[in-house]
Amino acid sequence: MIDNIPYDRPVPGHRRAERRLAARVRTVAEAYALLAPSLAGFLLFLVAPIFGVAALSLFDWNLMGAPSFVGLDNYRELAADPEVWRAVLNTIYYVVLNIPAQTVLALLLALALNRRMRGGKALRVVFVLPWMAMPVALGIIWSWVFDPRYGVVNQVLGMVGIDGPNWLTDPAWAMPVIASVNVWQYTGYTMLILLAGLQAIPHTLYEAAAIDGTTPVQRFFTITLPLLRPSLFFVLVTNTIGSFQIFDTVFVMTQGGPGGATDVLNFHIYQQGFQLFRSGYASALAMVLFALILLVTAAQFLYFRKRTVYDFS
Amino acid sequence: MSRKIALSAVAVATLLSLAACGGADDEDSSGGTVTLRYALWDEVQKPPIEQSIREFEKAHPAIKVQIELNNWNDYWSKLQTQLAGRSAPDVFWDHVSYFPKFSKEGVLTDLAPLIAQDKVDTSIYDSKLAEGWKVDGKVYGLPKDWDTIGLFYSTKALKDAGLTPADLDGLTWNPDDGGTFVKTLQKLTVDENGKHPDEAGFDPKKVKQYGLAMQAPTGQQDWWNFALQNGCALQDKPWGRWTVDQPACVQAIQFVQDLRLKYHVAVPATVTNPPNGPSLDQVVGRGEAATAMDGSWMLRAFDTALPNGGFGVADLPAGPAGKGSVYNGLTEAVYAGTKHPKEAWELLKWLTSERHQKAVAQAGAVWPGITSLNDVFADAWKAKGVDVTGFKKAAEGTTMGYPLTEAADVYNVKALDIFNQVWLGQLSPQDAAQKITTEANAAIK
Amino acid sequence: MKRVALYLALLAGAVVSVAPYLMTLNSAFKEPAQVLTTPAWEPAFPLTFDNFAQVWSEYDMAGFLLHSLVYAGAVTAGQVVFSTMAAYAFGRMSFPGRDALFWGYLATMMVPQIVTLVPLFLIMREFGLIDTYLGLILPTAFGTPYGIFLVRQYFRTIPRDLESAARIDGAGTLTVLVRVLLPLSRPILATLATITFITTWNTLLWPLIVTNGDATRVVTLGISALKGQYSSQYHLILAAAALALLPLIVIFLLFQRHIVRSIALTGLK
Repeated sequence: MIDNIPYDRPVPGHRRAERRLAARVRTVAEAYALLAPSLAGFLLFLVAPIFGVAALSLFDWNLMGAPSFVGLDNYRELAADPEVWRAVLNTIYYVVLNIPAQTVLALLLALALNRRMRGGKALRVVFVLPWMAMPVALGIIWSWVFDPRYGVVNQVLGMVGIDGPNWLTDPAWAMPVIASVNVWQYTGYTMLILLAGLQAIPHTLYEAAAIDGTTPVQRFFTITLPLLRPSLFFVLVTNTIGSFQIFDTVFVMTQGGPGGATDVLNFHIYQQGFQLFRSGYASALAMVLFALILLVTAAQFLYFRKRTVYDFS
Repeated sequence: MSRKIALSAVAVATLLSLAACGGADDEDSSGGTVTLRYALWDEVQKPPIEQSIREFEKAHPAIKVQIELNNWNDYWSKLQTQLAGRSAPDVFWDHVSYFPKFSKEGVLTDLAPLIAQDKVDTSIYDSKLAEGWKVDGKVYGLPKDWDTIGLFYSTKALKDAGLTPADLDGLTWNPDDGGTFVKTLQKLTVDENGKHPDEAGFDPKKVKQYGLAMQAPTGQQDWWNFALQNGCALQDKPWGRWTVDQPACVQAIQFVQDLRLKYHVAVPATVTNPPNGPSLDQVVGRGEAATAMDGSWMLRAFDTALPNGGFGVADLPAGPAGKGSVYNGLTEAVYAGTKHPKEAWELLKWLTSERHQKAVAQAGAVWPGITSLNDVFADAWKAKGVDVTGFKKAAEGTTMGYPLTEAADVYNVKALDIFNQVWLGQLSPQDAAQKITTEANAAIK
Repeated sequence: MKRVALYLALLAGAVVSVAPYLMTLNSAFKEPAQVLTTPAWEPAFPLTFDNFAQVWSEYDMAGFLLHSLVYAGAVTAGQVVFSTMAAYAFGRMSFPGRDALFWGYLATMMVPQIVTLVPLFLIMREFGLIDTYLGLILPTAFGTPYGIFLVRQYFRTIPRDLESAARIDGAGTLTVLVRVLLPLSRPILATLATITFITTWNTLLWPLIVTNGDATRVVTLGISALKGQYSSQYHLILAAAALALLPLIVIFLLFQRHIVRSIALTGLK
C-alpha cells in the first residue's frame, strides 16, 4: 500500500506533499471506518426516525391500511383536544411534584454527607441503591405498598388512627404516589452529583468567610449555592428531561387512570399510537413533547447562564 | 491483557448476536414440525384448552401449538401491534368489537373456501353466533363460545342476611327509587355497626360488606344490561352511529352511579375500577360484596374463590322495559398472513370441533359455540351444585350484542377512562354519555 | 447532640432507601395468605419457596430472565465495542466534519425515546425483524450518543505523548487503541458496560412495541403482564419483582465503586 513507498531514495518536494496527503487520506478513512458502525446506527435508528416522525405527523394511518395525507390536520386536532391539554398539565404537575422535592432532599443529604464521617461511604452506596431499580418492578412494589387494604402505608397510618385513602384509585392521590416512586429512585443519584459539586468547592473559601464572622446559613447562600450552580444546573436539566418522559410506572400502576388523573404525555402518545393505532396523531403529539422539552431546556439554560454570569461578574 | 478483554468483548458480541439470530429463527419449522402460535386472553379458560390442545398435538405430530396468553387490556394492543408488524399469531380469539376493523384491513383469512373444500358442517353452530361473522359471503371465523351476564352471589352472605336464593328472583329496578333490586341490596349491605343503608346511623364510609360489585371495561357486565332493561339501544342500527346520549341510556348510567354514590349498596369505584381493581370473584370471595354482576365465563373463577357450593347464580333484575342481558360470542380466527395456513386451518377445525368444545364445556369454562353441547356445560355445573341454566334463559330472551362498528376500539379505549370518572362521581352521566358518543362517532368514517 | 440527630436522620434515609427491597424479598417468601394478613415487616415464617417456584416455571420467569440476559448482554457488548471505536475517532483523530457530527450526536441526546418509536417500529417491520432479538437489540447496539460522549471525554484526559510514542514505534491506529488506550480506560468501560446493562435490563417501552410474542418476552414485559393478570395476588407478583431486581442488585454491589464514581463524574462535566 501507500506505506510501502521506499524511503532510501531522496523524495522530491511534491512527492513529500503527496505522501502527507496520502497519510491524511488514510487517517480520515480510518476515522470513518471506526465511526462507521455507530454512524450507521445513528443515521438509521435515530436521525431517520426523527425525520420519519415529522413526516408521519402529516398523515392519518393505522399502520395496517394505506396512509392518507392530511396536512396539518393532526396539529389542528390536538390543539383543540382537551385530553392533550390534560396530558400536558398532568406531565407538568408530575414534574412539579417531583423535581423540587427530589432536588431539595438530595441537597440536604449531600450537605449532611459532605464531611468526614464514619460510614459515610457505605451510606452513599445505600442511598444510590434505588437508582438502578427497574421502574416496572418498582411500579409493582409501590402498588402493593400503597394498596388500601394490604399495603404498608395504610397499615402504618391505621396504627396512628388515620384511615388512609385508596391511593391509586383516588384521582387526587394517584399522581403524588407515582411521583413518590421517582423521588425515591433518584434522590440518591442526585445527591451524589451534588456531593461531587460540594467537594469541588475549596475549603479555604469557607475558612475565610468564617473568620469574617458569617453564620453557616449566610455561608450557604453566599458560597455554597453560587458555586454549586453548575451541578444544580446539570441535575435540574437532566432530571427534568427524564421526568417529562415518565412512562413505565404509569403503565404498570394506573394506565393513565383513575379518570385520566395520571394520563401523562408519554402515556397518551403510546395510547394513541399503539392502543388506538392513530400513528399520525401520535407522531404529531410526539413532536409537541419534543418541542416542550426543548423549550424547558432552553429556559433553564438561559436562566442559569444569566444567574451564573451575574454571580461571577 | 487488555487485548484479551477487547477480544472477549468482540467474541461475546458475536456470540450473542448469533444466539439472537438463532433464537429468532427457532420459531420457524425445524425438522418438519411447525409451531403455531395461538393467542387468547382468558386465564380461567386456559387449562382445559391447553389440555385439549395436547390431544390435537398427539393427533398431528408435525404441529406444535404455543399458547400466548395476555389479559384483555394487553391483548388488543398487542394483537393489533402484531397485525401492524405482520407477525400476528396464526390463530387467535376474535371479538365483535374488533372484527369489523380487521375484516376491512384484510388481516383475517376467509374461511369460506376451506369450509367448502373440507365440507365442514356449520349448521351445528348457533346461527345467532355464526351469522355475525360473515361479510359478503366471506366467513372470518367460526364460533368458539357464547356468554350472557348473571348475578353471582355468595351463599354465605345471603344466609347471613336471612335471605334465600329465591329472594333474588323477580327483582325489579327503576330510575326513580331503585325498586326491589335496591331494597334487596340494602339488606345485603352492612356497615361496621351492623346498620343497613336504609337505617338511621348508617356510615357509608365504614361499610363492611356491600350488596353488589360491578366492574366492566366496556359496559358489558354493568350498565349495558341496565340500558337494555331500560329500552336503550347503544347504536341506531348495525354499522350505524352510537346513540349512548339518548335519555334511556343516560338513565341506566345514572342508575349504576346511584348504586354506588346514592344508595351506597355497590362497592365504590375506588376499589373496583379497572385496571387496578381486583376481579369480582376476589371481591365476593373476600366477603367485600354479597353479589356481583359478571359474565358466564367467570364461573370457574368464582368456583375457585368460593368452592363447594359457596356461590350461586341468579337472574339479572328486570327494568322498566323488562328483562334482558348482554349476549356475546367469540370466534376463532386465522391470521391472513400466517406462514402455515394449512396447519392453522387444522388447528381452527379442532378448536371449533365437537370434541374440543365438549372438553372445554365439561371443564365448565364457557358455554360452547355448538348448540347441542349446551347441556354438557349445564350438567357439568349441576354436578357441582350450581344451576347455570339462567344464562341460557337469558340468551333466549331479550339480548343485546356489542355494537357493530369500525370504531368500536375507540369506544373501548375511551370508555374505560370516561366511565371510571362517572363511577368515581367526577363526571355526570349526561356529560359522559355525550362525550363518549361524540368521540366514538368522530372515529367513524 | 447535633451529630446524633444528623446520624439519625441519615439512618432514617438509609432505611427508606432499602426498606422496599427488603419488604418485597421478605413477603415473597411468605405463604399466599400470610402476604395479605401479616404486616410486610414481619419476618416470613415459615419460609416458603413456592412463590418463586411457581413464577419460575409456571409463569416462565426463567424464560423472561434469559431473554433479558440475551438482550442486555448483546446491547452491552455492542455498545462497549462500538462506542469505544467512535469515541476514539471523535476524541483522538481529526477529520473533516468531526465537530459538526459530534454536535449532531450530542443534540440527539435530548430526543425522547417515544419520539422515534413509530418510525423505528416501521423500520423493523420493513426488515422483518418484529418479534426477534435483532429487532430488540439493533437500535441501541451500535452505541448511543451518551456512551460515546462518556468514553470520548475519558480518552481526552489520557496524555497524547503515550500515543505518539506508540505511533513512532510504528503502531497503527487499531494497535494504539487496543494496546495503549484501552488498558488505561478500563474503569470507564466498566462503567459504560454496567450502566448500559442496567438501562437495557430495565427498558420497557421498546420491547413493548417491537416484541409481542412469548419467544422473546423480556422480564419487564413479563412482570408487567403478570401484574395485569394477577393484580391482587401479591405473593406471585412480588416474587416476580424480586427475581427481576435481583441480578441488578448483584451487579450493583459488584460494581458499586464504578457506579458511584461515574455518577459523580457525569455531574462534573
